[in-house]
Amino acid sequence: MRIARVITLLSLAFATTLAAQQQPAASVPDLEGGWVRVDVEGSGNFTGLAAKFPRAVLTPAAQAAAAEQAKRAAQPRFDFARDPSRPKGAGEGYVVTDGNCSLPGGVEPNSAAFHVVQSQEQVLIVRENPGLPRTIYMDGRAHPDLSRWTPTAVGHSTGRYEAGALVVETIGLTSGNVTAGGWRAPETRLTERYRVSPDGRRLTIAYTWADPKIYVKPHTYEIVAERTPPGSWAFESWCDSSDPSQRLSIVPPPQNK
Amino acid sequence: MRRAAWILFAVVLMLREPSAQGSPDISGFWELSFDSRHVPTASLAPAVTPAVLAKQADQDGSAIRWCNFLGLPMAMDSPRPINIRQGRREIVINFETVATPRHLYFRSAHANMDVFDPTSNGDSIARWEGDTLVVDTIGFDGAKGVTAIPGGGYRTSDSHLIERYRLMSGGTVLSVTFTWEDPRVFRTPHSYEFRYVRAPRLYEAQPPLACNPFDEARAAFLEVP
Repeated sequence: MRIARVITLLSLAFATTLAAQQQPAASVPDLEGGWVRVDVEGSGNFTGLAAKFPRAVLTPAAQAAAAEQAKRAAQPRFDFARDPSRPKGAGEGYVVTDGNCSLPGGVEPNSAAFHVVQSQEQVLIVRENPGLPRTIYMDGRAHPDLSRWTPTAVGHSTGRYEAGALVVETIGLTSGNVTAGGWRAPETRLTERYRVSPDGRRLTIAYTWADPKIYVKPHTYEIVAERTPPGSWAFESWCDSSDPSQRLSIVPPPQNK
Repeated sequence: MRRAAWILFAVVLMLREPSAQGSPDISGFWELSFDSRHVPTASLAPAVTPAVLAKQADQDGSAIRWCNFLGLPMAMDSPRPINIRQGRREIVINFETVATPRHLYFRSAHANMDVFDPTSNGDSIARWEGDTLVVDTIGFDGAKGVTAIPGGGYRTSDSHLIERYRLMSGGTVLSVTFTWEDPRVFRTPHSYEFRYVRAPRLYEAQPPLACNPFDEARAAFLEVP
């Protein structure tokens, strides 16, 4: 009888030990692994992904800054792409980049998968293609004084776990466009909430941009990503600036007469 | 008997830490100092002639000239701190240089090489042997990145790398022993050790130094014979 009780006690302890090793603490979502953004609206193209997001309501000053940026963006970036509307002949590529493999990255995922690893003091989010990683400090440090910070495409991020979500606060971003008609400056505060679905397969990231100089009210939208299958691995999006084809997107082939 | 049972029960409860906490945690920013490298000269295979080495050096020079992702082993020899983050199913190593992140998966088998696209960093799987993290990497692309291996030789698509990570000096130093196996390049496996020093706790990750392949002055500087 006594032996049976001991065995039962030990079995319970082992079972709970194993369970603890399989699962993270309940308040800490399991974000670790690869994720790919999904088109939940059936938009069918990159532009359409944000078509149904609520549009940002900007202050007059921010509207002017965004309009100026839009004007600059409308200019062809490279001499050899002065007329992007002209159909290209066989063998003549549609130029889309200058061949430079450096990309700034950003706070939102792009078309490539992104990968999350959660360590005790930091959550790290890396892309498969060039661009700065997201370094999210979980060790309680404060944001730096912006007068001593060089803005970047990913800014300075601190995080905490709150009610089963990862909450990330970011400042120190470079000035530029934000999804769905928004705008940002280094002082703009971005709050992200990363929530995983109960089955662990979907990740919803809610973005809230706040800056009284830019937004009449906080600008909020959500994107959804799907977990990559178990056993999959991160790709390496190779880029070689010495490769002439790196500068081209679609090269029309010779056409049959 | 009852006392023994309670002792056993207490021991089991003490083990109830998640696996990442049960093993050493090598997370941190780690940097190399001037005295961090112990690199013996490699014993190269007879086929590795001076002409072969010169050709390989040209390939590496071109990779640097054009700001290609460095890949292994050069990424691990970064002049800036490397960011190692240990999760439950993988460890990610990110570099403040022109290199893609490394993913060290806690898995028992490599990806299927029939479908794996070779990369500059290869496919890495990791396991704990006591307090040592053993990382096994294959799946390299010998034509990508900078291939030179400290001590002599170079990475090819057939290279096999085994790394052993171990914390030292109360967790302030991380020893990494690299062992390269490649019969086409080395007579015997070539091993060397780097000892990384832990960066200050409040270190802030920095963007990589810019690399502009279209900077003509830079290109001229690099191409001077």
